[in-house]
Amino acid sequence: MKKFRSNKLAIFLFTFPALLLFIVFVFIPILQVFAYSFTKWNGISAPEFTGLKNYIRLFTDKVFYTSNKNMFIFAILVTVYQMVFATIFAIAVSDAKIKGRKFFRVAYFIPVVLSVTVVCQLWLSILNAESGLLNTMLRSLGIDFQQNWLSDRYKSIYAIAFVNAWQWMGYQFALIVAGIKTISTDYYEAAQIDGANAAIAHRKITIPLLAETYKSSLIIAITGGIKAFTEMYIMTKGGPGTSTYTLAYMMYSSAFRSKEYGYGLAAASMLVLECLAAIIVINAVFKSNDLDAVKKKKRRLFA
Amino acid sequence: MKTKFSIGRLVFSIFLWLYAAFSLYPLIWMVFYSFKNNNEIFVTNPYGIPKVFHFENYVNAWSKYDVPTYFFNSVIVAAATVIITLFCALLFSYATSRMEFKGKTTLRIFLSIGMFIPVQAILIPVVKIVQGLSLSNTRWSLIFPYVAINLAFSCMIYYGFFKGIPLELEEAACMDGANIYQTFFKIIVPLVRPATATLAIYVFLAAWNEFILANVLVGSNAALKTLPLGVLFFQGQFTTDWGGMGATMVIASLPAILVYIIFSDKVEKAMTIGGAVKG
Repeated sequence: MKKFRSNKLAIFLFTFPALLLFIVFVFIPILQVFAYSFTKWNGISAPEFTGLKNYIRLFTDKVFYTSNKNMFIFAILVTVYQMVFATIFAIAVSDAKIKGRKFFRVAYFIPVVLSVTVVCQLWLSILNAESGLLNTMLRSLGIDFQQNWLSDRYKSIYAIAFVNAWQWMGYQFALIVAGIKTISTDYYEAAQIDGANAAIAHRKITIPLLAETYKSSLIIAITGGIKAFTEMYIMTKGGPGTSTYTLAYMMYSSAFRSKEYGYGLAAASMLVLECLAAIIVINAVFKSNDLDAVKKKKRRLFA
Repeated sequence: MKTKFSIGRLVFSIFLWLYAAFSLYPLIWMVFYSFKNNNEIFVTNPYGIPKVFHFENYVNAWSKYDVPTYFFNSVIVAAATVIITLFCALLFSYATSRMEFKGKTTLRIFLSIGMFIPVQAILIPVVKIVQGLSLSNTRWSLIFPYVAINLAFSCMIYYGFFKGIPLELEEAACMDGANIYQTFFKIIVPLVRPATATLAIYVFLAAWNEFILANVLVGSNAALKTLPLGVLFFQGQFTTDWGGMGATMVIASLPAILVYIIFSDKVEKAMTIGGAVKG
């Protein structure tokens, strides 16, 4: 039996394919991102070491600040939109008294399974300034609120963030539905006996007990803002000017448009670091506050 | 008090229906306009059911705009990604969860780094590596990176599954004289079928809808483009044929929507364990 479980050849054959692919296509690339971010490289000839030059340039580049500002707008809008709607809808479909629960689940979730390009192309035709569905609708309703949704220097980022929030709301919704399933119904019965109505019961029980779920949701929403790329690429090309750039878009355009790979990789390494920082900060915040509170709450409920 | 409560309930359920409409209508609108001509889309009937169904939009999409090529590429790439990812992940997580060797925890943790690395960040080096291995302009240029990206998550899920199976299982097989390979394929693989099904859906959807890597790896090669890229093709050359674009988008979305409608619980589960693990 011992021999069976420590068969050297079998261990090698079993681990080798996965390790090989992972090392070649993920691990080496991530090392290269950091290594080449200290070089000047046009993608063809050998990279030339330039120390911190790319980073100094990055930190003095106006586009870098635009990108980070957009990241914040994107992350905050997406997070607020998704958390609010997803929580409301998840609580609603978890309530056996609501009719059409199955339909609601499908309706809210379905944009998630679509390709981002289809969703962007679709919203592109809805938000088009001249012929778009939204402006046509506003015009025929006689509402004077037609906008250049995607070609306005200040508003476009909100329109883009909205499209992302619209598509992925269903994802957060499904996460929270799964979280609610794990909460014991005893809590609600206890709350009812104490005279709490449904709204209070959810505020005092459901939401605090979903701390773990909210932590994952928050990480997904915020790192989503840092990584945002496809929406900009399809709907605005980063424009007008550079007003809808994000770090990922900045990396893409430095590398594949202006052939400054080293500079693009400096942006890419900032992207990785910002994602990691977000994960660490969110974990730390949840560890110090909510989880203690939840434990106390659980104890109180049982007492 | 009682009436106020039920009015609240009514308002609440109207709100649920409104958002459902808001979530679905853009898709329904897309299906509508895939059957319309430009005049109907922009002037006579922008919102509703087509007055005349222009099925020729689908015929055009299929015969004029290379949609069969994109569709074929998407099917090949997604299928190969699912098969190779699950095969590698099964083997790897079996070894790291149930076999005995030094450094197995290190190996497992090493591979799980993959979950924290955004595709966007490694885009440039992956392109260079694909070129270096002379994989450019082949479907492998997409399949290998897709497999590598999906491995970390797949291994994690399988690992959890294997940990829940009692070790005596293989002991019995071993007593009966089976070797490790027979045990693995005859006993272990069938046993983790539920995890395999969930992961297959997850990886399929990820590969079917992937855009960022496909865009730089095969974006300039019309013969290898996948459907998400095919949809964008209309931005340049065929902006006059909106109906044809709608038809292409419907064709591109249909497989994913069908998978979701048939396996809706499994899809939601597959996607959400992905999220929960990342936290």
